Amino acid sequence: MVLLNVDGIECRYGSVKVLETLNLSVKPGDFVGILGPNGSGKTTLLKSISRLLKPHKGTIFLDDVDIYSLESIDVAKKLAVVPQDTSIGFSFKALDIVLMGRNPHMSRFQMESKKDMAIAKKVMLLTNTWQFANRPINELSGGEKQRVIIARAIAQEPKLLLLDEPLTHLDIMNQLEIMDLVKKLSSDGKIIILAVFHDVNLAARYCNSAILLKKGKIFSAGKLSKVLTSKNIKSVFNVDAIVQKHLVTNSIYIIPLSPQKTPQYRKYSIHLISGAGTGTGLMKILIDEGYPLTTGVLNVLDTDYETAKILKIPVIAEAPFSPIMETTRRKNLAIIKKASAVVVASVPFGYGNLQNLKTAREALGMNIPVYIIDELPIERRDFTNGKAKELFDDMKKNGAKFVKDQHELLALLHVSDEKLKTIQKNDIKYEAHLLPSTPSNKNMLHNEDE
Amino acid sequence: MMTNTEVEGNFFRRASRWKLILILLVFLLLLTIIVSLNIGYAQISFIDILSIISKQFPFVDSMIDSSLLSPQNTSIILQIRLPRIIAGALVGAALAGSGVVYQGVFKNPMADSYLLGVSAGAAVGASISILFAAGTSFFGFRLVQVAAFLGALMAMALVYNISRVGSRVPVTTLLLSGIAVNFFLYAIVALVEVVAGDELTSIIFWLIGGFSNVLWLDLFSVTPFILIGITLSYFYARDLNLLALGEETAHNLGVNVERTKKVLLILASLVTAAAVSLSGLVGFVGLMVPHITRLIIGPDHRILFPASILVGAIFLVICDAAARVIVTPFASTLELPVGIITMLTGAPFFILLFKKKKDSYAL
Repeated sequence: MVLLNVDGIECRYGSVKVLETLNLSVKPGDFVGILGPNGSGKTTLLKSISRLLKPHKGTIFLDDVDIYSLESIDVAKKLAVVPQDTSIGFSFKALDIVLMGRNPHMSRFQMESKKDMAIAKKVMLLTNTWQFANRPINELSGGEKQRVIIARAIAQEPKLLLLDEPLTHLDIMNQLEIMDLVKKLSSDGKIIILAVFHDVNLAARYCNSAILLKKGKIFSAGKLSKVLTSKNIKSVFNVDAIVQKHLVTNSIYIIPLSPQKTPQYRKYSIHLISGAGTGTGLMKILIDEGYPLTTGVLNVLDTDYETAKILKIPVIAEAPFSPIMETTRRKNLAIIKKASAVVVASVPFGYGNLQNLKTAREALGMNIPVYIIDELPIERRDFTNGKAKELFDDMKKNGAKFVKDQHELLALLHVSDEKLKTIQKNDIKYEAHLLPSTPSNKNMLHNEDE
Repeated sequence: MMTNTEVEGNFFRRASRWKLILILLVFLLLLTIIVSLNIGYAQISFIDILSIISKQFPFVDSMIDSSLLSPQNTSIILQIRLPRIIAGALVGAALAGSGVVYQGVFKNPMADSYLLGVSAGAAVGASISILFAAGTSFFGFRLVQVAAFLGALMAMALVYNISRVGSRVPVTTLLLSGIAVNFFLYAIVALVEVVAGDELTSIIFWLIGGFSNVLWLDLFSVTPFILIGITLSYFYARDLNLLALGEETAHNLGVNVERTKKVLLILASLVTAAAVSLSGLVGFVGLMVPHITRLIIGPDHRILFPASILVGAIFLVICDAAARVIVTPFASTLELPVGIITMLTGAPFFILLFKKKKDSYAL
């Protein structure tokens, strides 16, 4: 049975279209997160469902009844809203506020009955607000107040609960508490919950489906794993993001990367050797700073590999969980030869990736500068019985530059870049193959989907 | 911290607590009226007052020995003091009641019964009629009163129409157009005052507000508006509670916001217009009485509204009694306009109360 049915609505503010032929049907038990950038129509969608903004075209059915044909009080029996703005004009007690949720079920001259009181008590115990039932609402903290507002909405005994950014202004613990509470409500499968979120991760963690809005249209809707892909997030929010399954919560987890700056393109190109996430932060920084970047060898499924894919960095890849093959190493060396410098991240070395360090040594031998980020002493991340340490010492002797963190690295790189500029003022042959995604990179093993 | 059973017990005792408050206030009002009947130039004893009043009721009148009552005293009480005191009570109730409604609808502590141009409209009507035709009557009613009432209604209609956006009347545009119309109309009043000459004192007295020379006939014309308006407004007491949560929330809790707002504003403006046509612009009552009452008994309009009405009535009857006696020692023919008393006494009292309970008064 379909309970909520949004039927081709189009909403306008004046002549500006905010929602365009939007269709949606949701069934009881669904906890739907409405996501999208500012101005994409999230709140407008909620407003039109709660009858605050009559759609220009189309309408909304709840239990097969057009809600715009009903009286306010009959709608309020089925539909409750937790609004964004919860300011309250006068100093009512928390209990009074919750009892106001019983309004749609009372006739004009009725006082609250024992049953209303029992319901209020039940929902206040559920939302953990009963202990301050007699305190004025304006004296409660943000989290307590929000729980009271949610209690009021539940006291309405709605079939459809709308929440408009219910977590704004709340600290992490309160956010989680309130989301746990809402999740609990949806879990008995009787009511529909639609919630607008700013925080994609909280939505991903608690909702069981999502709607992604873009410019007043549904860009994607359905199961979380289908909707929350880095491709969708890129096209809707215009932000690169890493989408993973979180190890602990087992829910989809999104790491947004700050929007790409338009960097001043540099000629000093860098090849990064990293792995196990040690290069992830560095890649973003180097790209933002405008350094043409390549990376490898990375195992497919390695965090750094995923990052490189998202950032569209050419990457030499090896099969998952496999030691680096000689052919792959050669490919790596081939692109290193075209780089101005090699950066070795503070990655642990085992027999699987020792080849990368050998390649770096080779590059040094070919007079390519090697920068080694030495955040963690090599002794503590050498799992090759000292072979990595040996290579390190050797490289140190032969002029590899050791830096203690990325700031120091950037400072040195900037100096080298400036030098390069003056030397190669008229030399343009470097440019062609060193900028990312130029034709010369085509033969590399990387992102199939780009 | 209250235990669970206490919270519930407290809640279920609420209805009887409210009844008690109202009974107490009604009793206080009656007491105030009787004491107030005693106040004035002619000394009339309480026993005489009670006899005179009781005589007016059927069945009771036969038990009273009227031979001891002087006809002069009877007429002072029944024809001069009583209509005046009833007028005070009615106007006080009307202004306080409409003040509660305006503050509730606007969710704004600065709102009062004069917000939407009602006062300025009445002032224009009254001052022009005083200037051109002082003392004239109109179908038996005083022209000033009729002119003030019509002026108030016209101002209200003007404000309402200016602020209307489609079928909605947003609170902000109402406030702004109310302020604009008020300024415009007061400019006209000022103009009338400048050219008024001999009638200036009468105009000023009317603007400050008072109850001298109120007759039963004046009361008959306005009482229905006030009583019906107040009664109908009370039906919306719970909606006023919900409106305090904001218009969108009230809507989501089943209130037809636009309809409720329109009905309430029209009722409150009618009540105010009727009141000021009788008394002139008595200040303070419509703004402060709702505040004072809210500070004492809380924000629930189901008790706040009737309690404010009674407090307003009591307050204005007391102020009017004071107005009658304060200047008497100096000049027996002159009396203070009651508006001066309401403002002089009410404002400091409110400030005192406000300072004491400021913390719980988070508006």
